[in-house]
Amino acid sequence: MKNLIGRILVGIAILASSACTKTDNYDGPNASLQGNILSSEGGNLLTSGGSTTIKLQQIGWTTPQTIPSKFDGTYEDSKLFKGGYKIVPTGGAFWPVTDTVTVNIDKGTKHDFTVTPYIVIKNFTHTLTGTTLTLTFDIDAPIIAGLPTIKDVQPYVNTTKLVGTGASIRDFSDLNAKTINKAFIDMSAAEKSITLTVPNLIPGRTFFVRVGVRLSDSFNSSNFSEIVQVDIPKS
Amino acid sequence: MKKLHKLIIAISVGVGTSVTSCQKLDIPPTNIFTPNIIYDSEAGVKSFLATIYTNLPIEDFKYRPDQGFKTGGNDWENFYNSASVTGEEVGPFGGMDIGGGFGYWPYGDIRNVNTLIAELPKHTAALTQNTVNALLGEAHFLRAYYYFGLAKRYGGVPIIKEPQDPAAPLSELQVHRDKEEATWDFIGAELDLGYQMMPETSDAGRANKYAAAALKSRVMLYAACIAKYGSTNFVDGPARAQGLVGIPGSKANTYFQAAYDAAKLLDGHYSLYNANSDKVQNYVDLFLKPSPENIFIKQYSIANHTAHSWDDTMSPRYFTANALSRSYPTLDLVQLWGNLSVTNDDGTPKRFNSRAEIMQGLEPRLLATIYFPGAMLRGLMFDMQRGIYPSFSGTAAAEVAKQPNSRSYILAGDTKTLYQGKQVIGFTGPWTGGDELTRTGFYVRKYVDYNKPQASVDLNRSEQPWIDLRYGEILLNRAEAAVELGNNGDALTSINLLRSRAGATPYGSIDLDKVRKERRMELAFENQYYWDLKRWRIADVVLDRAHFKGLMPYYVLNENKYIFLAEPELFNREYTFQKQFYYEPIPGGEIGKNPNLLPNNPNY
Repeated sequence: MKNLIGRILVGIAILASSACTKTDNYDGPNASLQGNILSSEGGNLLTSGGSTTIKLQQIGWTTPQTIPSKFDGTYEDSKLFKGGYKIVPTGGAFWPVTDTVTVNIDKGTKHDFTVTPYIVIKNFTHTLTGTTLTLTFDIDAPIIAGLPTIKDVQPYVNTTKLVGTGASIRDFSDLNAKTINKAFIDMSAAEKSITLTVPNLIPGRTFFVRVGVRLSDSFNSSNFSEIVQVDIPKS
Repeated sequence: MKKLHKLIIAISVGVGTSVTSCQKLDIPPTNIFTPNIIYDSEAGVKSFLATIYTNLPIEDFKYRPDQGFKTGGNDWENFYNSASVTGEEVGPFGGMDIGGGFGYWPYGDIRNVNTLIAELPKHTAALTQNTVNALLGEAHFLRAYYYFGLAKRYGGVPIIKEPQDPAAPLSELQVHRDKEEATWDFIGAELDLGYQMMPETSDAGRANKYAAAALKSRVMLYAACIAKYGSTNFVDGPARAQGLVGIPGSKANTYFQAAYDAAKLLDGHYSLYNANSDKVQNYVDLFLKPSPENIFIKQYSIANHTAHSWDDTMSPRYFTANALSRSYPTLDLVQLWGNLSVTNDDGTPKRFNSRAEIMQGLEPRLLATIYFPGAMLRGLMFDMQRGIYPSFSGTAAAEVAKQPNSRSYILAGDTKTLYQGKQVIGFTGPWTGGDELTRTGFYVRKYVDYNKPQASVDLNRSEQPWIDLRYGEILLNRAEAAVELGNNGDALTSINLLRSRAGATPYGSIDLDKVRKERRMELAFENQYYWDLKRWRIADVVLDRAHFKGLMPYYVLNENKYIFLAEPELFNREYTFQKQFYYEPIPGGEIGKNPNLLPNNPNY
């Protein structure tokens, strides 16, 4: 018995001494990239879930990775491997960016993009009458020629500050959409001044609300307004 | 003495080795099949062909669009089909879960065909020239079938016509993608060879020359639509700029003409199944009995463990011996045949004495495609009932618009619950407690074997063949191509052949919308509509945050009548097709092995 234990111990000793002779001395993913997606019309491009992403392709690798943008038009990834990357913003409602930028990503790398939005939402107002919220806004296009058709406009209503496509209450949001299906150039001035209503909001609740204009580009992407807070008084 | 011994040993070893060894080591290996064993007899070639046929990308009962062509294991889950994301049905998918495909990449199978095509001509002595030609024709058909499975998913793919030599330099093995147009042209040419070389008839489950023509009509229609509609609705990217996806719009008519010509080749050789004068029964039997309409079928066998589970998974447990259903036709599909007459002129729901009255006056093909409330199967009734109204007043629209908690209906969580002695929900649903009972008020009838006794309706116990190519589809291909080419007269004839077989009123005139609608009705649940939506490039419009409806039967207690309300299907799921899904991404693993497959399709 002792003999057996002895042999097992010897075996373990041999295995232990022969294993792990090479330590993994490669750096972990400790580089980071962050920045803003700026709108050519001023400020950050307001985005939403499943909307604008930054596509990164590490040079020497075949599979791209993406960083989703935050709702305020910033983005950040703090777990990247150091190295040269080609980066480009994509997936949002802005004129496609064809120039891919090459950046050398290391700790604390910053890069801002400037994009031209398809549609700019201006003069966004909200008024509450009882439990009905009325939203008005005007739409404008920095570049009109070749603009994808406008599919629809709609409010986005949610109970948290994260509100947008895929993060909204359908009965208040998608069901109050207005179909447009028209090219911007064919829209009259009156049609570019839009009113949306959200009826039957629940008294005593707080909602976060924004509006979006959806276009028929490759992503069926939307331009968004800023987010406003709406408190429905208790009846 | 010792020396002598050593000498003797040395001599005997020397002589022994030189005399006995290495005389006949170069014999054919006895533990593997050499080319001669396979290719010198028709039986040998047949056994090789069996593998190639088995792996053919036939989108049959067992095809699961997000996982592939299933055998063994979970191949019984026949409700995971493309119909359940396109609005033909609602089913187990939570949304548009199949847009990215499953990374189909059958170059191993294509290599098998390539090997067959390379070897066969060397064996004319043993097989005769005629047999070799017929087999070669079959091989070209099979190769086209595999490439079609690739082209409709990825657009342009590498066209490999000869078996690659594994010892070749990497630069030769890492092939580039061909253009999309070249890929479709190659498939068309392969099918022409198949048509020229194959005989007129074949064993069931194998292709003949008309199967090649039939497939060509399907393939060329696909290519034509990509040229026509894909040149206006597309996602841009490097792959498109290089022609790896997309075909110039100017090519559309050439392909439509090719589709039309190919479909016409079947004239007089196949016909629609019309054996029974009862139009409903006739349409039911078309999918269950041998018929002059079947051009190319896939067979199943319990003994060989290849049987499918259609009967067991399309009907609920109430009619079967085991398992569950999860495929429910939508009211949206049913309404292709026209609105059901369930509401009076004043908007109040019509009162029915029995559920079965809903079926009165409906087109036989519709009744043969879908089980309505009140229909019978294996001596039992489809007793769909969503709940009970103690009494009902007002219009259907007003009732459906109410919040669920302000509706006066009685619902139940199971089939045992009674209300004043009446069962609240039917044994066959609908309910929201799970998804093994209908969520729409309908069940699938097409392909369901009504003759099977309930006790034998079990998993992997269904053997009715999948009809991969049937003359009905060819008439639709022909009509669509004809309308696109401006030959409406020919299209009208084809469509009316189908409509009179279906028991529908023949049309007096025809247009593209009617042809497409007829296609949806005739080919419902046959795994065609998903690809139709894609090739017509309307999937992103039709499936844009789409929700689908059901038809809920209720019992009105104080009147002892039934009413039907059109409501969102009970899970009210949402389906959105992204534009990038018109092409699937080249599988990442393949790009890892061969970076020359880049650029990937747009937006991936």
